[in-house]
Amino acid sequence: MDNVVIKLSNITKRYGYGDTASFALRDFDLEVKRGEFIMIMGPSGCGKTTLLNVIGLLDRATDGEYILNGEDVSSISAARQARLRAKKIGFIFQNFNLIENLTILDNVALPLVYVNRPRTVRLKAAAGALKRFHLSEREYYHPSQLSGGQQQRVAIARAIVSDPEIILADEPTGNLDSRSSNIVMEELKAIHEEGNTIIMVTHNPSLTSYATRVINMLDGQIDTDIKTVADHNLPQPIYVRTKKHRGRTKEIEAVEEEEI
Amino acid sequence: MSLLLRNHIRLARASIKQNRTRSFLTCFGIAIGIASIVLILSLTGSISSLINHEVSGIGSDLVVVRPSRSKDSVTSIVEELTSASSFERSSLSMVDVATISEVEGVTAVAPIAVSTNTLMNEENTIPSATIIGTSPEFTTIEPLPLKYGVFLNNKNSNNAVVIGHDLALKLYNTSNPVGRTLSFCGQRFIVVGVLDELENTINFDNVNFNESLFMDVEAMENVMDYVQIQQINIKVLNTSLLEPISTNISTALKDNRYGDTNYSVSYGDAISHPASNLLMIISGMLALVSGISLIVGGIGIMNIMLVSVSERTHEIGIRKAVGASGYNILMQFIFESLILSIFGSILGIFLGYLLAFFVSLVTPFSPYFSWEIAVVTILTAIVVGVLFGTYPALKAARKKPIDSLRYYR
Repeated sequence: MDNVVIKLSNITKRYGYGDTASFALRDFDLEVKRGEFIMIMGPSGCGKTTLLNVIGLLDRATDGEYILNGEDVSSISAARQARLRAKKIGFIFQNFNLIENLTILDNVALPLVYVNRPRTVRLKAAAGALKRFHLSEREYYHPSQLSGGQQQRVAIARAIVSDPEIILADEPTGNLDSRSSNIVMEELKAIHEEGNTIIMVTHNPSLTSYATRVINMLDGQIDTDIKTVADHNLPQPIYVRTKKHRGRTKEIEAVEEEEI
Repeated sequence: MSLLLRNHIRLARASIKQNRTRSFLTCFGIAIGIASIVLILSLTGSISSLINHEVSGIGSDLVVVRPSRSKDSVTSIVEELTSASSFERSSLSMVDVATISEVEGVTAVAPIAVSTNTLMNEENTIPSATIIGTSPEFTTIEPLPLKYGVFLNNKNSNNAVVIGHDLALKLYNTSNPVGRTLSFCGQRFIVVGVLDELENTINFDNVNFNESLFMDVEAMENVMDYVQIQQINIKVLNTSLLEPISTNISTALKDNRYGDTNYSVSYGDAISHPASNLLMIISGMLALVSGISLIVGGIGIMNIMLVSVSERTHEIGIRKAVGASGYNILMQFIFESLILSIFGSILGIFLGYLLAFFVSLVTPFSPYFSWEIAVVTILTAIVVGVLFGTYPALKAARKKPIDSLRYYR
């Protein structure tokens, strides 16, 4: 029970009815622990993206139980879904999905709009996140003025700006050349090492070296599930650690501030 | 909440700026509707203020008795307009004039009987001149400056007439025809006085004094078979006694007429009410018609918002993915249409007053400004904005995030 962020049991996603029914997910079970970096692989149409959408509360499962952070979210209202998306989930997409007519800074600050942060707080947080990805000089650029790799880093900054519980990435390197992909993967790795939980869908087997767990899917079910890092060795978020070692809290906060 | 509100306004502004031409044209659609409403309200406002001004010019110590009951409700005014009651016989008579003059506090009583007839003299013929039958006391109530001669009095009342300035010119080609004669209905009359030219020519039920002939009402009764007393003007001793005196007049008339109350006694602002009420109906109708153009403008907003929603489907998807709820999206688009319509209405108010100003250059009306007009138009704009923005906004709010994310322009 400890440290479980996501628990899916018997999740089924069906499209169509009767004879035309097809299943994107069929009795899918999954338990994700805090600090895991999961890669989901599999052939096209095996339900990877559907799984990600269900986990990200963008889509609803036809059947089954989904517990996010101890809260049963299988049948919550659309408004509550939106609220959870804003607070607990960060998305990274294959095609970046930045809003074209907003500046980079505003794009990164966007999730904070929907958790009611004042504008100055939003912009500060966004500027901090951009600095982390070495994009500070590009704050007032528009997305079309950046390269694909830079755009994806902006998208990652947007995904982490509200400190979500999980980061969902749908083929984040799919539209990038190998050099940019490597940079993006290194950034994701760095985020993961800070204790973030990442679930990533990919077609590229060479990227699995970054993961702590690799899941192969076939026809809406898990085919193979391999953990490369033991559960107790998973990186944990700073705030969890600070809770354990009260004495070190101040020190860590100071370090954190310096970094920002 | 206020944070989100500010954010919505900022978003809407950004989106409007992005499509300047489109937004301006949409605003303009609303502006035309609002402008026509402002124009109509401003012009009718100026007319009614003109009427009120004239009434206050007549004097505040005036009590007016009119035939038939006062008409307060809109339907009764419309009824009167559509029925043949204007051809009925007036319920007022010289007996009533006598009754009123005996009421305490009344200093002067003048019946007014307006008729038209053909006037002739050796030189000219006026086919339909206004003839006002009244009494010598008329000048006490409404001081009429005389240019030449004297007004009617008890000695000359049988065959004397006083004529207006313009009428004198038309009949005699001179401004001083005192002592000369004219005839109508087969009788001859002597002109004993000529009125000075009056500036406020519209007075007392649209009678133009400059073009009128005044004579004693009893002499008029002798010439014509009957006269209709349209109005009895009464001057009272003291302005503060207007109310009790008019009540006394009312009861005196009632007692004298065996309980018949087919007349109305009014004073102060109430004198102009029939005219103002009619004006209100007309301006209401006109405003309603121009409201149709506002609906057209509103549909313009709805159209543009629908385009905007479908253009920004992808953006809506992104916003929803990062945590915007349907309500957030709904408000974003409603604010956009609200701002469009409010800008439109502000533009419309300026445009309307500009038009009213141009109209006032060629007509006697002066544009009438009031905060009520501004408030009414802004409120209308808000209603239009919300009304016509809701459907597109709902459409945006109901979009499913995954479908919208997949959507590309």
